[in-house]
Amino acid sequence: MDISTIILTLVWGVAIGCVYILLATGLNIIFGVMKLVNFAHGQLLMIGAYLTWTLTVTFGLNAYLAIVFTMPIVAVLGIAVERLTFRRILGTDKLNEIFISLGLIYIFENVALLIWGDRSKQIISPFNNMILDLSSISITYDRVVAVVVVVLALVAFGLLIKKTKIGLAMQATSQKDTAAQLMGVNIEKIYMITFALGAALAACAGGLYGIIFSFNYQIGAMPTIIGFAIIILGGLGSIKGAIVGGLLYGIAEQLATLFLGGIWGSAVAFALLIVVLIVRPKGIFGVKGE
Amino acid sequence: MNTQKISQFVRSKAFLVIVGCFAILALVPLFITDNFFLTLLTLIIIFSIYASSWNLLASSGQGSLGHAVFLGIGGFASAMIGGSIATALAALSGLDRLPIGVASVTLQVLVMILGGLISAGLGLLIGLACVRLKAWYLAMVTFGFSVIVESVSSQLDFLTHGIDGFAPATLVPKGYPFYILVTASAFASILIMYLIMNKFRLGLAFRAIHGNEAEAKMIGINTAKYKLIAFVISTFFAGMAGSLYVYFIRYVDNSIFAPANSFAPLIMAVIGGLGTVIGPIIGAGILISVQQLLALPSVSEGLHGALGGFFPGIADVGPPLSLIIIGVILVLIVIFMPKGVISLYDKFNSSGEREKKKAPEEKKK
Repeated sequence: MDISTIILTLVWGVAIGCVYILLATGLNIIFGVMKLVNFAHGQLLMIGAYLTWTLTVTFGLNAYLAIVFTMPIVAVLGIAVERLTFRRILGTDKLNEIFISLGLIYIFENVALLIWGDRSKQIISPFNNMILDLSSISITYDRVVAVVVVVLALVAFGLLIKKTKIGLAMQATSQKDTAAQLMGVNIEKIYMITFALGAALAACAGGLYGIIFSFNYQIGAMPTIIGFAIIILGGLGSIKGAIVGGLLYGIAEQLATLFLGGIWGSAVAFALLIVVLIVRPKGIFGVKGE
Repeated sequence: MNTQKISQFVRSKAFLVIVGCFAILALVPLFITDNFFLTLLTLIIIFSIYASSWNLLASSGQGSLGHAVFLGIGGFASAMIGGSIATALAALSGLDRLPIGVASVTLQVLVMILGGLISAGLGLLIGLACVRLKAWYLAMVTFGFSVIVESVSSQLDFLTHGIDGFAPATLVPKGYPFYILVTASAFASILIMYLIMNKFRLGLAFRAIHGNEAEAKMIGINTAKYKLIAFVISTFFAGMAGSLYVYFIRYVDNSIFAPANSFAPLIMAVIGGLGTVIGPIIGAGILISVQQLLALPSVSEGLHGALGGFFPGIADVGPPLSLIIIGVILVLIVIFMPKGVISLYDKFNSSGEREKKKAPEEKKK
């Protein structure tokens, strides 16, 4: 095994990790602000991928531009989901969130199957088949662009959280919702914005996913679980933790695939997750106690 | 439970209801001799055991998203063991294959229990890893285990033959005889689970843990121990259901570990009524009926004729449509009827007094 193969694997791991980070960040803010677990988040990624595909095929849009248009559409879908379902069960038994999410997974996946059919699709980007050649290693442009897009999206997201009034209100709500409400924050509106933001990030991740991999209506489940794994690895509520967790996960998955074969990729990554959870039930960077 | 309690229970209404239900179920196929109907009923009853096992675990506050692991392990183990014992017995008596008779039926029951035990053994190991985890951490880890088991079983293909799949030996003739076996097993296991959840101290401990784990610990309940016990009992019955399922459909491969099989018992229990005994059975009835009816060739073709034109990308609109229906039912039930379909019965049956006792669920604002 020569060193350039390992470097290439690491680069791939980083590129894939970046897509997962985007999804995980969305999950993370929804959990942080609303204390809500949306297991159907990966299905928003799947819808995002399909919409991006439709925009590129039907309207001939540039794939990366199509992602920009897809994000608000999926954000509106997210708002609808939040208002119609999760809003109604906030504060009841925690298991209800899992039940609702499962129902949503069934609905989203099969509606997508009806609309877009069961053949796999891939989004053709303008950089299709273009390869960045660095002496011994070569990597497709799309993966480099994916990393750049993710970094841009995360910076924009970070600015929104840190510098705007809405971001401040989101932080306040995540610390203590009742106190935030007393300070005049309209938390129902904040919940809506949070969910829309999370959905938009998922749509962006979906577009990138669809450019890097071929996809079908069933791809949502694994990214959701991986997103959660990343959040757990990194510790809940911490965006830095999610970034570290995402990179760790992507690299672990790619190394396992390289050394043990493709089918072991997710198994090894999950084994890692389970070991971490058993040793530290609240994640690597998580705070101890409730 | 002492003898007095047992005799009291045997005369109680709940026991009569359970016995009555299964007696009717056992006799129905004698009058309605339709093949599709028999298949439907058998599947519903097998999945009733499976959903009830999930329900028992949930009654201790643990929600698993990877129960297909135990369904699958029970199925694989009993199919492999049953196959080799049947071949060995046949070889001993100098025959090609084991004739169907007392020996084969006994073997069927034995491998079913063995499948449950092997599944429970694995359940003990996974449960040990899971007792510290709560809510969706547990959901995640159990789901992770199902992904791992699926990969491992395809890696160990020389042992499991899970990629191509294989058919288990025929031990009980299909049709009505197998149906009776399924009904009897379901009666025994659902009765045992009912007793555990409602009549034993064990069930009390489960409910205390479900209500509030910290408080349960404070009043002296060894929560880790009881959560583990719930895991082992639940996985035993899930494995048993897996054994029946595999011998019924006469085929087993890796797809038995698929997430859909992990989600099914959850959906059934929630639709029917979480924490009740009848709930998972009703849920299994609804879910399996919707799936099987929409998959019927005549219904499927009719649907495709009516709707196929709108959805050119797919060969058959029946299955996705049935899953959408199930998803919508699940969401509506959780929002509008959190206690499941069974709560309708309570509503019609109870006077105002019982209604008052039930505190309306506080909605957080």
